[in-house]
Amino acid sequence: MLVLSRKSEQSVLVGDDIVITVLAIDGDRVKLGIQAPRDVTVLRHEIHEQVQSANNEAASALSPTRLHSVAAALRGRITPSEESPS
Amino acid sequence: MSVTAQLSTSELSQAAIYFPDGLVGCPDWQRFVQVVDTDEDLPVSVLESLDDPSVQLLVTDPSLIDPAYSAPLTAADLAFLECTEDDQPVTLCTLSVAPDGSISANLVGPLVVNPGTRRGRQIVLADGRYSTQQPVATLGESVA
Repeated sequence: MLVLSRKSEQSVLVGDDIVITVLAIDGDRVKLGIQAPRDVTVLRHEIHEQVQSANNEAASALSPTRLHSVAAALRGRITPSEESPS
Repeated sequence: MSVTAQLSTSELSQAAIYFPDGLVGCPDWQRFVQVVDTDEDLPVSVLESLDDPSVQLLVTDPSLIDPAYSAPLTAADLAFLECTEDDQPVTLCTLSVAPDGSISANLVGPLVVNPGTRRGRQIVLADGRYSTQQPVATLGESVA
């Protein structure tokens, strides 16, 4: 890992077109400004981890036998009127 | 056990859906077939991985969970999906079932698929509007 020391308002250039600037430092909080092309995804790392974790849970949690019961539960939520026997 | 075996009459969609980048954190999950039950109009279907048969994602239309749901696509997303003007990308979200039977939806990382090119991508909505574990329902509780 490349480690750089930066002060407030100093920047780091990544590639040709990504600029990361330290905007402010306040205690243990660092405010970063990121300039990047629109097609570059910039995410807080924990969001990426949450989505990865949700993917793994979705892949492992499904027992195929549950398909219809999940569908029924979902349908019950979508149209509660179906819950009451007519 | 395959999901297809569970559905009385199941139909594989005509072609695999290709996620060139895989899913977030799961780059190997690239090719899926969508398995739907043709006997019943279920609000869920299954994306079955062709790369790892143990990976079966239960998916639904996120607008069924949140009618106001929106997953805006960037120009880069549209280019990635090779969308032309006629293509209308489909948005799906995955569902998880916890051991206690509670079902949750990942509304942060929807799967968008272009039915025209059958290319897909998982996008990440990082603006804090949604949860990766949005409670949806509990197995058995909502069933009449």
